Amino acid sequence: MKIIINFFKGLKTTGKTTRMVLFLFIINLLFSMLLAIPMYNSLKNSFGHSEVGEKMAEGFDYLWWQEFRDEAQGLETTFTPSIIGKGAVLNNLVDLIQLRIFNSPPIIIIFVFFYITLHTFLAGGILSTFYQDNPKFTMKGFAKGAGSYFFRFFVLMLISWVMLFAITAVLGSVFSPILDKAFDNSQTEVTPFYLVLLFSAIIFFIFLFFQMLFDYARIKIVLEGSRNVLHSTLEALSFVFKFPFSTLGLYFLIFLISIVATLVYILLKDLIPQSSYLGVSLAFFLQQVFIFSVIWLRCCLYSSQMNLYRYLR
Amino acid sequence: MLKKTLASSFLFILLLAPLCTSAQEPLCKQIANYTMNVTLDTKKNLIKASEILSWTNDSENSIDELWFHLYWNAFQNNMSTFLTEASRRGRRVIGFTKDDWGYCQVNSIKIINNPYFEAYDLFPDMEFEQPDDENLYDQTVFSVRLPHSLEPGQTILLNIEFESKVPRPIARTGVYKDYYFIAQWFPKIGVFIEGKWNCHQYHASSEYFADYGTYDVKITLPSSFIVGATGEHREKINNEDGTTTHHFYQHSVHDFAWTASPHFLPPYIEDYEFAPGKSTQITLLLQPQHKKLKDRYMNAVKNAIKYCSLFYGDYPYTTSTCVDPAYNSRSGGMEYPTFFTGGAYFLTRKGISRPEGVTIHEFGHGYFYGLVGSNEFENPWMDEGFTSFLDTEVYYAAYGEPLYNRSYFGIPVTFKDVRIPIESDGISRHRQTYNMDIMQRFSWEFLEGGSYSANSYSKAELTLRTLKRFMGKELFSKMIKSYSQRFWFKHPRPEDFYAVVSEFAGQDMSWFLDQFIYGSGKLDYAIDRITSSRERQPRGLFNGIYKERERKKEKAKESVFRSEVTVRRLGEVKVPVDVLVVFEDGQEIREIWDGQYRWKKYIYQRPSRIKKAVVDPEFKLVLDINRTNNSKKIKPNRLAPLKWVSNWLGWLQHTLEFFTIFGG
Repeated sequence: MKIIINFFKGLKTTGKTTRMVLFLFIINLLFSMLLAIPMYNSLKNSFGHSEVGEKMAEGFDYLWWQEFRDEAQGLETTFTPSIIGKGAVLNNLVDLIQLRIFNSPPIIIIFVFFYITLHTFLAGGILSTFYQDNPKFTMKGFAKGAGSYFFRFFVLMLISWVMLFAITAVLGSVFSPILDKAFDNSQTEVTPFYLVLLFSAIIFFIFLFFQMLFDYARIKIVLEGSRNVLHSTLEALSFVFKFPFSTLGLYFLIFLISIVATLVYILLKDLIPQSSYLGVSLAFFLQQVFIFSVIWLRCCLYSSQMNLYRYLR
Repeated sequence: MLKKTLASSFLFILLLAPLCTSAQEPLCKQIANYTMNVTLDTKKNLIKASEILSWTNDSENSIDELWFHLYWNAFQNNMSTFLTEASRRGRRVIGFTKDDWGYCQVNSIKIINNPYFEAYDLFPDMEFEQPDDENLYDQTVFSVRLPHSLEPGQTILLNIEFESKVPRPIARTGVYKDYYFIAQWFPKIGVFIEGKWNCHQYHASSEYFADYGTYDVKITLPSSFIVGATGEHREKINNEDGTTTHHFYQHSVHDFAWTASPHFLPPYIEDYEFAPGKSTQITLLLQPQHKKLKDRYMNAVKNAIKYCSLFYGDYPYTTSTCVDPAYNSRSGGMEYPTFFTGGAYFLTRKGISRPEGVTIHEFGHGYFYGLVGSNEFENPWMDEGFTSFLDTEVYYAAYGEPLYNRSYFGIPVTFKDVRIPIESDGISRHRQTYNMDIMQRFSWEFLEGGSYSANSYSKAELTLRTLKRFMGKELFSKMIKSYSQRFWFKHPRPEDFYAVVSEFAGQDMSWFLDQFIYGSGKLDYAIDRITSSRERQPRGLFNGIYKERERKKEKAKESVFRSEVTVRRLGEVKVPVDVLVVFEDGQEIREIWDGQYRWKKYIYQRPSRIKKAVVDPEFKLVLDINRTNNSKKIKPNRLAPLKWVSNWLGWLQHTLEFFTIFGG
């Protein structure tokens, strides 16, 4: 019940600050556009004047992509047939869990790093907005909050990286020999498959758990004005362990909603034929709605978690 | 003396008897015939066997010595030529313990008394040979000197006692736990051809070469094992000591391999009539986890038999055995006469070409390697290239275009909007390696493993597909079927293929084939420029008469456009190409360019502007490494880059948001 109450409270609060979500969405879009422009030029130069352009407008020309891939450099290497619909989400899931993001071209790694840092900055604004008794988005208030918490949140981010690195290193040293043994000593691919799935799920859970844990650390800093980042982390840990069902329940409720949103997006996108300007525009619109919903759910998570923290404290 | 001669003649006839009493008459001259009794000790992974070899001198030369392969000696230490080459290519054997090494050791080799020879022990004269690299550590070839010459047409009978230690899986043979895949495991005589022994050492990138004959093999091993092998499974006798003896027999083949495992599902056996009145028995040995793939495997074999029979001649053997290899056994995707391994993943999905692709490929080797016995050491493209061409032709004929797929955590996901066209097969590898080597090289003489496979598999396949489109489908089909059938049970060389192509093309095709088979040039034709503008109006003084600029309206009414198309040859390969020019009013002009000089310009004066130009519009030149530059349009397509960058943008936006899990 606690979960549901605070989820709806969070939903309501986020509803009141839709302008803030829109602001965050625009930042995401503009940031992405910085790389989309060179990618657009690459594609245009590659097939714009060729007959391939017609095929790519109708569907996907695999032969062209093979050529493009063989010559691709930097950003271009990220263009694959699997960026369509479900592939985009699945690619990111694999990149996250297997840390393949580090195999990406440097420009992507740098952009992701900057965006994470930027988001750490923005988190201060988001949480300070939700902290108000009657949450209302103003640019001034948002910027003030972002600025005042940035340093602490940044340190918190570094702590989370160190902890994540340590835990994944430990888990890696546990999982790797088991997997190696399973891969080397099995007469069937079924055993290693399930082990990979299990270990991936464990690692994913740990990533999610850490996100939740550090969300509470950030909330604690905002609500209590704490300046000791390490102390806030430990207190957040103690809070999560004190109320594991409520905290995890709330987190996974919103996570589940985001999975549903993703599935709906994938299904709908598959239905839109992108062979005309109208189709491409519709698909683009749907895509932006999806990204908006992802950001909205992230804000809703913050808001609900803040309410839960206040409720249980 | 008479008694002795009579006795030896009787034995001689007895050993040759299976060739004459077979249910099906041999399909060719039986040159190298093996009768073997084999025992597999599954505790020591040791094969003990006796081999009676009956070998006929089919040449016009007198022969003083015999050469043999002992392939498994490539795995007895890391200094063999095979493992030295493999190590240089980064394929080191790691973690081999004492029991993991393999070998094939001849304990005795004797001539059996027969009308041409008296009994004689050849063992003292046995010598290891290193014809390719003088690596004294290499013991994969040996020779024995005969007491006197073996004259043309004469047959020699040898009794060879040997033992083979089964190695850890390597080069698609060996033992993994209790799964055995036994190939290249016995002393095997070389090929006496062109006046000498053609018996190369075992190389990291090489396959095999042997003469045709009959294999009559009895394998004894624990009764719990299910066994599959080359040829007909004629008999199964349960012995009192808990072992079973399996009897396999096959004539008109040049190798014998077998597999054994207690974990195979009971064999699926089905008679398949691939053409009216013509059938063969398919045996499928499946891993338990792939039970649900039975129909996919079985259909793949059936499609392979059906289409190969149609394209390359009716499958002549009475059996075909497909083995689904154990995971980690490294025996997947390999071919032996009437017997081959596939490869599957338990979660494979509809639209993915596995297990079908590999099954068709390995069955297809039954034609180009099995029936057409080219020398895999010296002309690797003649089996791998032909088979790669065959497998895609058969696959696409049977199943259509497969779907693009990616594996996420081991779960394959297909993308229904992205289909993989036949022309894509191998072009990427060719693009990356085209100037490393020429196609016709000895298999171990390529710059690197990637170049060996790109040339032997991909470039050869693309060359055949280009030739097919160049000659026309109908003519090519007749040609390839004729080439296949003419060289069944023979050892063709590249010049034999040249001769057949030229015969069907009605001209010497060396100019075409040489560029691909003996050349490393790039094939790339491109539309360099297209322009279209109003013809310039005369203005100024002409013989003292001043002419004024025409009024716009009049000009527009009688406009003539000057259009130019420049086609370029960016690569070294020269072939005639078609150029298609399309005008805005729908008119089309087709030009034929000999493709010899570096460029060619076409100029048109017509009432309509040019819309686009395409070089090689029918996509005959599958070897063209850049297809995108084959066409040019005056007006670019603006929708396509917008559409795809929009999709890519979605991925990037999601990436950025997704990875905030590591931050705020």
